[in-house]
Amino acid sequence: MAYDVPKDLAEKAAIMREFGRRRAAGEPVSDELYAKHVNATNDRYATGPESGQHIPDFALPDQYGVLRSLTNLVGPNGLLLVFHRSAHW
Amino acid sequence: MLEKNGVRIAAVSYDSQDILKGFAEKHGIGYPLLSDRDSAVIRRFGILNVNIAPELRAYGVPHPVNYLVAPDGIVIRKYFVPNYQHRVTASAVVLREFGAAGEDAATVTLRSNALTMEIGLSSGKAFAGQEISFFAKFELEPGWHVYGTPLPDAYAATSITFDDSKIVRQSFELPEAAPMKIAALGEMLPVYDGSFQGRGSLLLKFPIEAGRIVLSGRVCFQQCSDTVCEAPETVPFEVPLTIEPFVVPTPKK
Repeated sequence: MAYDVPKDLAEKAAIMREFGRRRAAGEPVSDELYAKHVNATNDRYATGPESGQHIPDFALPDQYGVLRSLTNLVGPNGLLLVFHRSAHW
Repeated sequence: MLEKNGVRIAAVSYDSQDILKGFAEKHGIGYPLLSDRDSAVIRRFGILNVNIAPELRAYGVPHPVNYLVAPDGIVIRKYFVPNYQHRVTASAVVLREFGAAGEDAATVTLRSNALTMEIGLSSGKAFAGQEISFFAKFELEPGWHVYGTPLPDAYAATSITFDDSKIVRQSFELPEAAPMKIAALGEMLPVYDGSFQGRGSLLLKFPIEAGRIVLSGRVCFQQCSDTVCEAPETVPFEVPLTIEPFVVPTPKK
């Protein structure tokens, strides 16, 4: 299934809005709309630091408000650090 | 499954601490959910999704990437799939990094002369668009070897290739082969003998119709002893996989 990648932010936003509207309304999402949405979302996909590189330092509050960094998150063999879009929607 | 292997897990999103607390309670999540409210860390990692217009609710989300990070902060491996709803599974991570297969994974055993091979997937179930891992265990009878790389053209290296009808991208890695002097030729060639294991990954196509499918592939190798060298062989195999039905998630009101 190949669909063109939308050209600009406005076109991407229109596709994302339509996808979101249909989902919210419980309307069916066609394979074509789904693929367009995926293409719009994944354009210029960036994946950050490569294997063998150091991750940037960070310190962020967890769900209890405790500030966490790599040092107090990591296990003896490592940390699986998962970036995801939202826990809310 | 990860904990058992000494790896902890933490998740980062742009949600507020309150939302993360509610989400963790609702789903019984024990691991840290980190709140990157202004997406500063997401930007610092270079994975801000720049396709999303500032006026949209999703503005500030990252491209979904998972990093397996060593205790010293070095990335051991990263996982990402273009279809963000279905990530690489924990069982695929554990198989790739620690060699332990999922409990529901089907395996297939092949035999040719002195070589026995077992090939299996990280999980018996997957979603279209998801990345799964596979392993291949090789066992050679004493006195026999197969070849690694780099190798002169006259020999066939050991490899596994899946048919690409259901797969977008694949990889397969073996440990480094030991150099062995081939007496008859006076050459040093990279070989494997005894038992050894390789691991690979498969990115499934999207869409694939839900239900039971078969992933077919072939193992290529050339087995030789100190005295006999057999012709290169290609052995086909099939492993079953259940494709889970794809459901577009319904949003919370």
